[in-house]
Amino acid sequence: MSLFLRFRLRNIQKNTLGKTFYSSKAEEKIEIPNRIPRGPTDILRALESTVSRDPTAAHYKYHDDPFLIPMSNVGKRTFAMAQESGRKAAHWIRKEHADLFNHRECEPPIETFFPKITFNKNSKVTEEDLKNVIDDVQISEAVNVYKICKENNIEVSQVSQQKLLELLCYYNSEDTLDKEFIEERWFRQSSRLKEKQRKIWRDGNFAEELFISIENPTAEVYSAIIQGMAKHLQVERAWQLFEEAQQKGIIVNTDTYNSLIAVSNYLKEGYDQRWSFAFDLLSDLNRANLKPNLGTLNSVLKTLSTMGTGRVTKTYTLQVLREFKDIGIEPCLASWYYVLITFCKDRGPTSTILTDILNFVENKEHKIQDITDTNFFVTAMDICRNHLHDVDLARRVDKMLNFGSNYDLMGDSYKESIYYRNYFVLLSESLPLEEFMRDIYEKYVPHIYVPEPGVMGEILKIVDINGAIEFIPKLWSDMTVFDHTNRENLLETVLDIMVNNEIESELKENFSNIAWDIFNRIENQNENRTNKIMFTGDLLGKILTLVTRNKDFIKSCTVMDKLDKGHSTIVGVPKIEALSLFVDQCIEEKQPSRAISCIQYCSDSGFPEATILAARLNEKLTLDENHLNNLSKIVGDLSTMKAQ
Amino acid sequence: MNKLHLFLRTPTLNRKLLNPTSCLKEICSNKSFSSESDNNDKKPKKEEAISKLNDLLKKMLEDDVQLEPKIKLAQPSYKKEKFSKKKSISKEPVKENIVKAVKDVANTIPGDPKITESELLTKLLTPAVETPATYNLSDIVKGMKIDRETKPSERQTRAEQVKNILQRFKPSDQNLSSSNQRSQRRQQIPKKTVESSEKIDLFGSAPLGIFTKKEYIEGVENKTWKSLNERELKLAITHPPANYYQEMILWTEQGKIWKFPIDNEQGMESDSVSFDEHVFLERHLEGWCPSKGPIRHFMELVCVGLSKNPYISADAKKEHIMWYKNYFEDKKKLLLEVGAFPAETKSKQKSVE
Repeated sequence: MSLFLRFRLRNIQKNTLGKTFYSSKAEEKIEIPNRIPRGPTDILRALESTVSRDPTAAHYKYHDDPFLIPMSNVGKRTFAMAQESGRKAAHWIRKEHADLFNHRECEPPIETFFPKITFNKNSKVTEEDLKNVIDDVQISEAVNVYKICKENNIEVSQVSQQKLLELLCYYNSEDTLDKEFIEERWFRQSSRLKEKQRKIWRDGNFAEELFISIENPTAEVYSAIIQGMAKHLQVERAWQLFEEAQQKGIIVNTDTYNSLIAVSNYLKEGYDQRWSFAFDLLSDLNRANLKPNLGTLNSVLKTLSTMGTGRVTKTYTLQVLREFKDIGIEPCLASWYYVLITFCKDRGPTSTILTDILNFVENKEHKIQDITDTNFFVTAMDICRNHLHDVDLARRVDKMLNFGSNYDLMGDSYKESIYYRNYFVLLSESLPLEEFMRDIYEKYVPHIYVPEPGVMGEILKIVDINGAIEFIPKLWSDMTVFDHTNRENLLETVLDIMVNNEIESELKENFSNIAWDIFNRIENQNENRTNKIMFTGDLLGKILTLVTRNKDFIKSCTVMDKLDKGHSTIVGVPKIEALSLFVDQCIEEKQPSRAISCIQYCSDSGFPEATILAARLNEKLTLDENHLNNLSKIVGDLSTMKAQ
Repeated sequence: MNKLHLFLRTPTLNRKLLNPTSCLKEICSNKSFSSESDNNDKKPKKEEAISKLNDLLKKMLEDDVQLEPKIKLAQPSYKKEKFSKKKSISKEPVKENIVKAVKDVANTIPGDPKITESELLTKLLTPAVETPATYNLSDIVKGMKIDRETKPSERQTRAEQVKNILQRFKPSDQNLSSSNQRSQRRQQIPKKTVESSEKIDLFGSAPLGIFTKKEYIEGVENKTWKSLNERELKLAITHPPANYYQEMILWTEQGKIWKFPIDNEQGMESDSVSFDEHVFLERHLEGWCPSKGPIRHFMELVCVGLSKNPYISADAKKEHIMWYKNYFEDKKKLLLEVGAFPAETKSKQKSVE
């Protein structure tokens, strides 16, 4: 190696001497850069950074088969969950038939692919096994191994006991979702959050047994059990144990204080009490000489965020921020989330604090530091739309979200869809419609965001106000793809827009097709559906108008027949304009019998205009005896009337 | 306020409604007029209400002046206006403008803007016959509570309300050209009154004054708890991979594929022995092995063989070589005899070289 280097060095020196005539004899030093140690994923990450999200392409997980790319929200979820259940099935088979998977083909072997070791009563276990299952976060297996150890009188060291206790406290002695199932985690929705509003700590669980079995519990033991109880909202017992520890002169750690401060709203009723409770705990922390951390800041801010809309709460919040800034603790996104919900309450006055926060957090890449960090973006966007109605601010939030790897902090699919829902509605209300459709709608729909029926309704409303009917065909085709066609209110809105905006262009044909599509969709609904859409007279009248405007006489007749036959079952009657349009169409097509049946329907429905229609028919077409008779049966003597 | 709809009905005044400020002035003048008539009626019990009303109107007039630059309202562009000149003013823009003007008025008047607005609109859109002629402003204002607190308005429902009302009075003969309608751009939603529009200095407040010590200690540590928390944080930002690289990163992290770059150090990261320790073993021959001859030849072959063996550690390899060293050391006598081992002095010279 060194020989080779020397050789190269000499070569280089020779070259430089030969080429630069004047070069001094000063020795040229060649700096060989130190080897940069690279992690196993560094190169992959570098490559990955060159690929950005293509909004026109479906998400990576969907594009295995182009024919199966899901478009609607339900479709996407079903697709991803189907994939996930495939994975689960594979895991299950591996578990059930562990003996089939011991074929060690590759060297070095990939341990993750081998079946997990399971233990039963007869298996020989060591403390090492216990450590392994704890490190692998297999909660019930860890309990199992621990019990086997106890039964076989195998000594378990205090360190392992502590590890086990912490594991059990963290997960409430319940198995957690395997880290493999990323899709499930993504789609799990925040139902879990709601669940967290009540006590979920299982009293008398194994963690408690273990706690009792430990003699002379140390500060670590107390810290673990108190944190576990506070995390799972067994607040009274947590507080009790905290006091017990204090009496024994045991100093629990900062995180334990944090966990207690964070649940102050469960321990104390009044706002003042809550604040003094948190304040006292902070003072205790100081007295115990313990170093406060980011968790402390977030817990205090969380408490403040539950303290109503009072001005004093806001003052405290700012004071807390300053206090922690002074001891060198920078707030993270979770802290700002709590500040936001403190300042921007639904019922409180409007506050523009988001602007100030954005100034502070913008153009930075944020790393997750607190599990609540993922609430920031969705809340910020919600405030932009519902609290401030500020498009520029919303755009800034969105820019920040797409900065660096900040998108990771989006949370889950549920939060993502709420985020985009707010963003969409805000933009659609504020931007000119063409711009909105061109820049926003085209970009995000359908691969990044699929508008929910409510959002689609908003967009339709804006289209209506703008009279921008050329977007209707596009929106309708999207609505069919997104499974919105079973929403009665959306169907009605679409029909209304089309009926109210009469135009002379090729759109007329489009409109007629859409109306016909709606007709068929309602007609061919699945019999077993629970909330079927029922035809109403008004709905059919609108469909009739639209198809008649396009002179689709056969379709018009079908709709008219539907109206006529379902006279007793269909609620309401169409507008007379629709019927009159149909009669005109009949006249044009020279179909007096059709016209007469329509006039009959008018008269049955109690429209006084029936006579006018009859007169018009009589005037425009030469009717034979039969028709004349029928007509006079409906409206009386024709000769006395004049068409208007 | 009842006068307002009368303007509406007179076509010449319709134009005025296009300008919200003039509209507002009309309303204000109207209000002051009717309140004067109230004073003439001499109703002492209403005196307080009236004085309040006057204050209110004064404020409105002040606001009126300020409002002008603040509120931008959609006005048909010049070109479009020309287009619709013949039809005087089509009903659609009037509708839009009424809604906007009313919205602005509602926001200016203290009180729940939603209620005010819907009241104004109902008034505006109710045909004259239905309104009793004696209905005057004070009657309307009397019923209003003066409430300074602005409540968050739910725009959608309000918009719906307005639309519903307008729908009822929509003329059936709607022959507006689409370009005319298009000129009606939606306005920015009027912002709610903002309590603290001034900049908030996030760290400008006085500190609480609890943590004043210079030195703090770290308390006991729950290591497993911490690592579990980190695990959860990691999982919270682990989302379904968005491209193949991300998927490979994920798989690498999950230990499902060999680490990149794939070399023969896979899974041996734990013993931090460099590859050269494994491969270049001749260094262990220096000092004892003759530089040529059968022993050298043999030992070099041993080194080559060992260097290709991935299964044993570098230490084991070294040990292996040392075993041979000792072996030859033991057999030195014999080896010297057969000449496989050069004489002592020679070997020394060699090593110096």
